[in-house]
Amino acid sequence: MSSYERRVAGKRLPRIDGIGKVTGKHVYAADFALPGMLFGKILRSSEAHARIRRLDVARALALPGVRTVLGAGDIPQIRFGTAIKDRTMFAQGEVRFRGEAIAAVAATSLEVAEAAVRAIEVEYEPLPAVFDPEEALLPGAPLVHAGWSDYQALPVFDREGNISGRSAIGDGDLEAGFAQSYRIYEHRFTTQHVHPGYTEPRAAVASWDGNGDVIVWSNTQLPFDMKNMLAEVLDLPASKVRVIVPGIGGGFGGKLRVGVEHYAAWLARKSRRPVKLITTSEEELTDAYPRQPTIVTLKTGVTRDGRLLARQGRVILDCGAFANSGPATAAIALQVLAGPYRTPHLAFEGIAVYTNKGATGSFRAPAGPMANFAVESQIDLIADDLGIDPLEFRLRNVYREGDKGPAGETLASVSIEECLRRAADSIGWSERKPLGKKGHSRGKGIACSWWLTTGGSSGVYVRINPDGTVTLVSGAVELGSGAITGAAQILAEELGVELAQINATDVDTHVSPYDYGAQGSRTAFSVGNACIAAARDLKRQIGALLAGQWNVPADSIRLEAGSVVSGEKRMSLADVAALSQRSGGGLISHGTAIQPMPVFDPNRVRHHPLPAWTSHSFHAHAVELSVDQVTGEVSIDRYVVAQDVGYAINPTYIEGQIEGGVAQGIGQTLSEEIVYDGGRVLNANLTDYKMPTMMDMPRVECILIEKPSVNGPYGAKGVGEPPCIQPPAAIANAVAAATGVRVQSLPITAEKIALRLAGKAGKDG
Amino acid sequence: MTRQALDLTINGESHQLAVEPHWSLLHVLRRELGMTGTKENCLEAECGVCTVLLDGKAVNACILLAEQCRGRSIVTIEGLGDPEHLHPLQSAFIEHGAVQCGYCIPAMILTAKSFLDERRGHVPSEAEVREALSGTLCRCTGYQKIVEAVIAAARQLNSWPEEARRAS
Amino acid sequence: MGFSFHRPDTIDAAISFAGVHGEDARFIAGGTDLIIQINRRRLAPRHLISLAGLGLDRISETSGEYVIGAMATHDAVVTYPGFQHELIALAEASAVIGGRQVRNIATVGGNIVNASPAADLVPVLLTLDAVVELRGPAGARSLPLDRFLVERGRTVRRPDEILTSVRFAKPPTASATAFLKAGRRKAMEISVICVAAHLVRGGKARIAVGAAASRTVRVRDAEALVERQGAGAFHEAGRLAAAEVTPIDDVRASARYRDLLVAALVERALASCAERIGKANP
Repeated sequence: MSSYERRVAGKRLPRIDGIGKVTGKHVYAADFALPGMLFGKILRSSEAHARIRRLDVARALALPGVRTVLGAGDIPQIRFGTAIKDRTMFAQGEVRFRGEAIAAVAATSLEVAEAAVRAIEVEYEPLPAVFDPEEALLPGAPLVHAGWSDYQALPVFDREGNISGRSAIGDGDLEAGFAQSYRIYEHRFTTQHVHPGYTEPRAAVASWDGNGDVIVWSNTQLPFDMKNMLAEVLDLPASKVRVIVPGIGGGFGGKLRVGVEHYAAWLARKSRRPVKLITTSEEELTDAYPRQPTIVTLKTGVTRDGRLLARQGRVILDCGAFANSGPATAAIALQVLAGPYRTPHLAFEGIAVYTNKGATGSFRAPAGPMANFAVESQIDLIADDLGIDPLEFRLRNVYREGDKGPAGETLASVSIEECLRRAADSIGWSERKPLGKKGHSRGKGIACSWWLTTGGSSGVYVRINPDGTVTLVSGAVELGSGAITGAAQILAEELGVELAQINATDVDTHVSPYDYGAQGSRTAFSVGNACIAAARDLKRQIGALLAGQWNVPADSIRLEAGSVVSGEKRMSLADVAALSQRSGGGLISHGTAIQPMPVFDPNRVRHHPLPAWTSHSFHAHAVELSVDQVTGEVSIDRYVVAQDVGYAINPTYIEGQIEGGVAQGIGQTLSEEIVYDGGRVLNANLTDYKMPTMMDMPRVECILIEKPSVNGPYGAKGVGEPPCIQPPAAIANAVAAATGVRVQSLPITAEKIALRLAGKAGKDG
Repeated sequence: MTRQALDLTINGESHQLAVEPHWSLLHVLRRELGMTGTKENCLEAECGVCTVLLDGKAVNACILLAEQCRGRSIVTIEGLGDPEHLHPLQSAFIEHGAVQCGYCIPAMILTAKSFLDERRGHVPSEAEVREALSGTLCRCTGYQKIVEAVIAAARQLNSWPEEARRAS
Repeated sequence: MGFSFHRPDTIDAAISFAGVHGEDARFIAGGTDLIIQINRRRLAPRHLISLAGLGLDRISETSGEYVIGAMATHDAVVTYPGFQHELIALAEASAVIGGRQVRNIATVGGNIVNASPAADLVPVLLTLDAVVELRGPAGARSLPLDRFLVERGRTVRRPDEILTSVRFAKPPTASATAFLKAGRRKAMEISVICVAAHLVRGGKARIAVGAAASRTVRVRDAEALVERQGAGAFHEAGRLAAAEVTPIDDVRASARYRDLLVAALVERALASCAERIGKANP
């Protein structure tokens, strides 16, 4: 598959949208403006759970410059949501978290809009609230949604009261497995809220045109999903909603769902003026889509020689006041708990729970870091207890080619052993606790995982232009990963042109073909496959056009170096495109792609929206770090990632994904946390929400392993999400190796380590 | 509040503006002048994406009042290089894969420029670059390729004659 | 939010303008903290009086002392040649205030007048027995920085007084300073604890701690112990220092951890001073 040398694919070529980005000319949604545009602002609840007794907007409306004030009574009461339609644009008589939208204002300037929001009067009647997901599960706990049973929801989810979804995966005979076990280990791990941290706030500009269509310029990752969702909230046919995505300043899963777009659209509709909304850091940290906190409990039985025999686990996932992707994330966590390890007897349960905190979402590798932190920390605990090297313990238990996955699917292209061995070799695993400098303990840690390449279909339109350039119209947004450059490399490869000849357009749902969206490590993979399909179709079109004219068999016609060739005959691609325009409307193709679903055993899964993974990838991380023996400060000396990417379409941007993903993982591990005190966020600003700076990041050493997948373009596998999965476990294991302190709650702050070293804190720091 | 007349020199051009006293330089650049190469995010000097050069030094435009810039020279990313004539830092960022979403990149490039300008003839170490650029957050790249790009650009700039460099 | 912005030509004009408007007016130095406070609606001055262009941004020295103008930026402190040896703690502290973009605007005077307990430069200045110079309608006055600071956000400065400079004696050759700071990240941090130490061989010891009380404080028991017992007492001095401070629990750290950090960083800062003295005076 990747046996022959390719011209464009596989090369470290510069991205196709780079120049606009380094010159400041690339326009992002946050930069977008229209003449006469108003500025929107949202009034947010100051209570975590309360009835709204009175809402008085009169003072706000009276302010000069205020054009529109909207509250729940001014728009239709439409519930929306990904898994469960449990959310409304404005709180309907009852607020469910501190920060929930109650009203919105459009005014001639942002300052006036802000003043108007402050002028709105709200009276609340507090209701009992619940903030701890375990308390929310107790009988008699306050219900976050008293009317939960009336909500529309995807039928796959099992819901009840504060449980927004419950899924399970199981196999074998758990009791028998534990009965046969040499030792049984039980541990509990907790993880925190972390924000995706995109540097561009969520932003949207909405404008209504003469046809009664609304155009929304948004930095959404999922323009087609956004279009449908807006149609629902605006009570319009989807054909009346047009979503255009200019530049997008990072997403990482945080810009999948509606953020400010519906407010902009409604305010624009009512004020008859274009309206722009952009989030503040405070809004981002109180009402966005951060990673859900989890509580993971694991019970694991092993044989004397270190083989996993029986594993039971439960993930309680705090999805906040609205379910969003929580139920699906709790379900995906089960695959992360299971793999990449063979286990004859297993039973895992995932429960998504409502609490009176902000909603949550699908931050990069949803469920990945949380479940992996638990599994891979416990593997080290068990290995150390059994006196087996943790690397060796893993190698005894990892999946092999042809094994069955958690849902009984057959696993192909399994590379976990190679990932582990390469990462371990690179970090110098034979010396796990090297000598630290004075006052510092030094240690190494390793962790491994697997992940999927999300399915969903992709369409592209590809047009060959009479100047020899190629236009790629994809419905997938370029988030920054370089995925569209990767797809363009594949297209260039197939069409025999240079990457520089390919132009990619912005996504416009009125124009672009459908794409499932820039999510789930799928963009380069899926759009790349669609490009291959489009290129094949274009070759057929060119063959049909020239075969008669040249009097050669159509299948003798090849594309190479910007030309069409058959034997002695040759015509430039530009001329062929011009010929086609003169004779038949030009060279244009619609290429599509979708991954086949693997065959799985439905008896092993319950209430699971994604029972078997497609085009899975394997990866191992190894880290060497130093810990200050007194202050607990962690300094990462080396960080190695061995990741199976299937086929490296552009190694530079794959490394970029790995380096950036590790940075986010290190942030989750050491410094980041949205801190709640009850229902209030204590650090809703970037002073105290601490993402890694350049000084916090080590050089990340990337080892790209290429074991081809069956379905990816040239064998590629999804690469974007996995790098943020293992840092918590790898670092926790290294800290434990260095200091003997095992921290089972994220983040692993210096404070937790130091207080444990000083013997001043409980077991879990 | 009444607006006050304010002349600002931006990328070598003089702009006669009428500003409200509380407007930040960032507000003037983005909202009044439509120069959106300078980005906005946290507005509290924590994320760094609004970085511009004030008299050659990198500053956060979000917390600097436009009034504080009276009589001083401002350089934004629009003043650095254009697509046909990229500044060596801009080329290096592209060549080294240092650009992903790109939202922090104008700030990174401008901070790097002021840093390199202050140390002509010196090729900074990786640690020096990390220290100098740590005031801007990047969530995409993990910073590695940005550091590599800055060092590569420093090498190239050092090979330039002084005059060409001053003009850059 | 709405204020007028004034650029007086002289210090006296600034003072008299402030006198007219009283609490409605605020002096603006770099503004890196003030503007954020205004944007967060914690302050709502009606007039901002700029201190730029009044000649207050110089760092200078005489035979006996250094004078840092209130408008000198942290960047200027970091690069000032006189602060690279015995007084390196000044550069060390200024170098970790915000990012480079903040250090190019934020001023020494602002760092002092804000009276944040976590201000990084203030503990260093306290260990140098620094004196602040104030100018007001009644003329100039000077007082020790230690008496200038009252508590979080409060000093003895009157609204129409300008802090014009801070000065301190040149330290003897056989002396050293050190500054250490702990935060969750390695840059862009507001100190969880910061510590400055100043040791003179065979002479005085000064230790100051930030973010451990309602203002930056000197820990005098620890200083006295070191002056009496020297290098052998550094560990105990750290312990004493921790006993002298009264940190709080907040979102950045617990009081318990701050106590631990005070003890550790005081000991290390003292050891660093001793090592520096030894290296520079073999």
